[in-house]
Amino acid sequence: MNDPAVVLAGVSKIFSTGTAALAATDLSIAEGSFTSVVGPSGCGKSTLLRLIAGLTPPTSGRIARAATATPLATGFVFQEATLMPWATTAENIALPLRLASVADAEVAARVSDAVARVGLGGFAAAYPRELSGGMKMRVSIARAIVNGPRLLLMDEPFAALDEFTRFKLNDDLLELWQRNRWTILFVTHSIREAVFLSERVVVMSPRPGRIVADLAVDLPPQRDAALRLGHAFADQCARVTSALGDAFLTQAAS
Amino acid sequence: MTRIAQALLPAAFGALVLTLWELAVRLNEIPPYILPGPLTIMAALWESGPELLQALSVTLEVTIAALILAAVTGAGIALLLAQSKLAEQTLFPYAVFLQVTPIVTVAPFVIIWVNNVFIVLLILAWMAAVFPIISNTLLGLKSADPNLKDLFRLYGASRGQTVLRLLAPSALPYFLGGLRISGGLALIGTVVAEMVAGTSGARSGLASRLLEASYRLELARALACFALLSAAGFILYIALDVLSRRLLRHWHESARPVESI
Ligand SMILES: Nc1ncnc2c1ncn2[C@@H]1O[C@H](COP(=O)(O)OP(=O)(O)OP(=O)(O)O)[C@@H](O)[C@H]1O
Ligand SMILES: [Mg+2]
Repeated sequence: MNDPAVVLAGVSKIFSTGTAALAATDLSIAEGSFTSVVGPSGCGKSTLLRLIAGLTPPTSGRIARAATATPLATGFVFQEATLMPWATTAENIALPLRLASVADAEVAARVSDAVARVGLGGFAAAYPRELSGGMKMRVSIARAIVNGPRLLLMDEPFAALDEFTRFKLNDDLLELWQRNRWTILFVTHSIREAVFLSERVVVMSPRPGRIVADLAVDLPPQRDAALRLGHAFADQCARVTSALGDAFLTQAAS
Repeated sequence: MTRIAQALLPAAFGALVLTLWELAVRLNEIPPYILPGPLTIMAALWESGPELLQALSVTLEVTIAALILAAVTGAGIALLLAQSKLAEQTLFPYAVFLQVTPIVTVAPFVIIWVNNVFIVLLILAWMAAVFPIISNTLLGLKSADPNLKDLFRLYGASRGQTVLRLLAPSALPYFLGGLRISGGLALIGTVVAEMVAGTSGARSGLASRLLEASYRLELARALACFALLSAAGFILYIALDVLSRRLLRHWHESARPVESI
């Protein structure tokens, strides 16, 4: 086994407003793995991602990232597409490269590669307002992967999309991951999405968030649409669902 | 409603008002030194057209120079104030002072301290015009998308990169909104300054001519000056509006082309 990409040791977060968002948390993410985080709204999932990305400091504990997952080699996909409305698709995707002062020729090559990988060929010169919700999300994903990140943090990237688009983007994301073996940490509200995509599902309790279950997904590595219909898939979803239910019960009891 | 109808409606309204005015003057036999009719004013405009247009260009020179100066300094000051909460708290009250101080009360001092008339007018018009640009741009700089700010932080953007690629474009629509207001204010500022400074001679602006004419009870000529100044202010506003739409047409809701709604 390689060194883990990210290790959290006793990391907690209490905001200056006094809100305890995350209780002391230990978590280790293996290099090249696909891990999902599920949990009820407000349980600190976004906070967890922002802590790992270094966008907010922990109140206690330590966060260690592998040398290959420095902030600069981290991709972040927000819940909303978060594009610059004044920039075209190509310029939005190019942002990480521009900020790293990459030469124009290389920017052009890498952007057109990323555009093709998320299936946005023909829309490189379009402005965000000319794109549909799903297309904007793909621009956001292309931007996150354009600088060849080793660590991809995704905060409910598909939450606002319809099921068709969501399934399509799930398939695309899996294919990208299988090809590039990034480390992906994926936050979602959807248990089915978590099970379909990941090797491992981390279940969090209501606020202040704690990790209450850490489940390995027992499904073959090759995932395709037919998988969603099978018994094995339903069983795995049921396991996560009952873990989430337990989290709520413990919360209610305490 | 079509574009043509949109333009015709206000024009028709204007024509109606002017006709009623002309009729009222004629039917009541009001003497032209009390209230000249529109036709008399137009005749005065025609008679001294070249001279008045020349005076207008003198006025507009100051107005446009002051507006450009206000745009540059206003954006710069806003950027400075946006650097820290402390800077804003310390300095913004003075920007407010600048705004609420009538330039008429400052003019006598400026006239004593500066002996170039153009510079005097420039300073006074700038004072009248700069505040909306400062306050609007500051608001724009502060309303950049926080997620985008995080993204810039994540990718290790320098301060300069953040200003250029995130803060400036975010503030642009606000800045342009301020500029549209300031265009009119710069003209008003120039006119007031001309009247207070009492410029005269061949290089004097249109406001001075207006004042002169009214002293001599040449009301038609004074009103012709007034009409020219108003028209110039209106055209300035339209020009700034067009500029704003052009700069924002690709992305900002305020400049969304009608067809794509
Ligand atoms: N900047 C902040 N300042 C103060 N409190 C915050 C801040 N950000 C988040 N919180 C609080 O921390 C808690 C966890 O928020 P977080 O956004 O991590 O939840 P989440 O699990 O991502 O929820 P959702 O699934 O609805 O997105 C919430 O109670 C929220 O109010
Ligand atoms: Mg969230």
